[in-house]
Amino acid sequence: MKHRLFPVVFFILLVLSGCLSAPPSGGGPAAEEGPAVRQFFAMDTLMSVSVYGPQGEAAVQEAWEVLTGLDRLLSRTSPDSEISALNAHAGDGSWVPLSPETAELLSFARQTAEDLPGAFDCTIAPVMDAWGFGGEDRHVPDAAALSARLALVDSGRLSLDLEAPAGRLEVPGMAVDLGAAAKGYAAGLAAQAVLEAGGESALLDLGRNITVLGEGPSGPSWRVAVKDPQDMERHLGVLSMRDQTASTSGGYERYFEENGVRYHHIIDPKTGYPAESGLLSVTVVSENPALADVLSTALFVAGRDEALSLWRSRTDFELVLCGADGVVTVTEGLEFDFRGEDNGYTCQTARR
Amino acid sequence: MGTPARPPAAERTRPAWGDGAAVLLVVLAAAALFFSLLPPQGNFLTAQVVLNGEVLGEYPLDALEEPVLLPLDGAPWPITLELTPEGVRVLESACPGQDCVHGGWVRRAGGRIICLPNRLVVSLRGSGGASEEFDAVTG
Amino acid sequence: MSLDLRRLTRCAVLTALALALSVAEGLVPLTILFPLPGLRLGLANLVTVYALCRLSRREALLILLARCLLGALVGGNLTALAFSLTGGALALGVMAAAVRLGALSLFGVSILGAAAHNTGQILAATAVLGSDAPLVYLPPLLLCSLVTGAVTGGASILLVQRVPEMAERNS
Repeated sequence: MKHRLFPVVFFILLVLSGCLSAPPSGGGPAAEEGPAVRQFFAMDTLMSVSVYGPQGEAAVQEAWEVLTGLDRLLSRTSPDSEISALNAHAGDGSWVPLSPETAELLSFARQTAEDLPGAFDCTIAPVMDAWGFGGEDRHVPDAAALSARLALVDSGRLSLDLEAPAGRLEVPGMAVDLGAAAKGYAAGLAAQAVLEAGGESALLDLGRNITVLGEGPSGPSWRVAVKDPQDMERHLGVLSMRDQTASTSGGYERYFEENGVRYHHIIDPKTGYPAESGLLSVTVVSENPALADVLSTALFVAGRDEALSLWRSRTDFELVLCGADGVVTVTEGLEFDFRGEDNGYTCQTARR
Repeated sequence: MGTPARPPAAERTRPAWGDGAAVLLVVLAAAALFFSLLPPQGNFLTAQVVLNGEVLGEYPLDALEEPVLLPLDGAPWPITLELTPEGVRVLESACPGQDCVHGGWVRRAGGRIICLPNRLVVSLRGSGGASEEFDAVTG
Repeated sequence: MSLDLRRLTRCAVLTALALALSVAEGLVPLTILFPLPGLRLGLANLVTVYALCRLSRREALLILLARCLLGALVGGNLTALAFSLTGGALALGVMAAAVRLGALSLFGVSILGAAAHNTGQILAATAVLGSDAPLVYLPPLLLCSLVTGAVTGGASILLVQRVPEMAERNS
């Protein structure tokens, strides 16, 4: 009987070896309660606030109020905003009363311009307008008009009285645009509101400017993918983040083409032209949302070398730099799962 | 029960042809179940179109047989979407920036097109529960 | 039909055997080899096969019920009871039909029984959890049941041949 059994057992073992290679994976995800979510347009972008926990709805509401409230204060396109008032009174010598939030953000923006001269300036608005970004008609401005506008870009001539609080633009024609700083600052205040309302964990997606609070839906960290600037449907990699903001700037989303040349919307305050630093995108990860936002724009203008030297001089942010040369530079403080090899990128770790 | 039933199988001492059939049956059942449990790949996409906070429609793309043009009449700037079984794009838009047109095709679950001037959001969702490997996207 | 003493004793002995086999196979868990929830050799099925071949379906069912209930008393787990009852009952049903098919040996019967047992267990798990998630374990479990079923099938052939008609001859 033994040798009669043998072929049967042998066959069965063969089948079992097939069973081993069959993946027993794909187990159902823990059926968690979904977050409270609200999606809305504010600050010229699509925002989405998701809060987990029993206080989710209330926390989302608080965050929404903070964000839309700041939008009313900071929008350059709405005529009733404080920024519009500040711009309207440029050069007439009068102090424009500001809310503490607007004053704080302006002060932060001015400080950044001081720290990174030539890479960032919140008084870039006249040049932005010359290009038609934000308006209806995007075009290459003529050189004379551009240099006249460029002369107005100087946040040293934005006076702030933080006690009052109030602000004043010293030269007629000057104008402030907080498009590169407002979302981060708003994310900070919204995150605070979420925590105060009892939200346990949250995702604030303010136009792909991502702030995470608490634990992620699938683990202690949140997994935040960094878009490939050359292929909107692919990713450079996935960041693991906790209580941080990731902000990305690049010239790939808002641009126009004229005579076959592509002009994007991040203007170099030194030249008045779209920044050409050899970078396709800059992602800044920081516990300070305002810093992450403003640095992503500033370092996109500044370029890889300057970005890395600033990173080496400070400890309050980390970077993912995607260069036009196909090199993705990741600073060593990040937990970054590189996925760009299939898209032709190579990854490089920057060390202090 | 005086005489116990004498099932034919009880008297065999060696495998019969039916055993092979039984093995085959089990293997086939396992295979059928395995393939039916595989998460559906790619094509089961649904495009959700939201204009100024209002859901205009949900379009299961795999149900389309040929490309469909979808002009959105309610939009402030006339805009036309093109839906195909593979994905969705903004075919043309009268909006000033044209960012939505530049974005091109969106073909994967989780992808989205935004037209800011129109306050339009087109998002693609995979209906097969193809779970993303991340929680959010920056950039 | 009432159970006479002999029959009762017979069932009791077989139940004890089934329980002992369950405990014994619990000492060498197959899940160490293959980390697959629900994977076991199913030696207790041996008793069911034997009962189906040499006793009656009714007795097989009684033994099964007693084994499951006593096993749950020992193990003290209601969920496990639901799993083993559903699995065992389904296996019994399938094997009772299969054993009557002319074309099968006890190998085939046991394989079908093991497969049915796994199916029953997983179905119970989906009911208990209220989720389809456990179904993903079924295909690999079914393939493994080919092996476990063949092993218990081989053993049951020996058992049925060596212990042809327990007690019946003397009654």
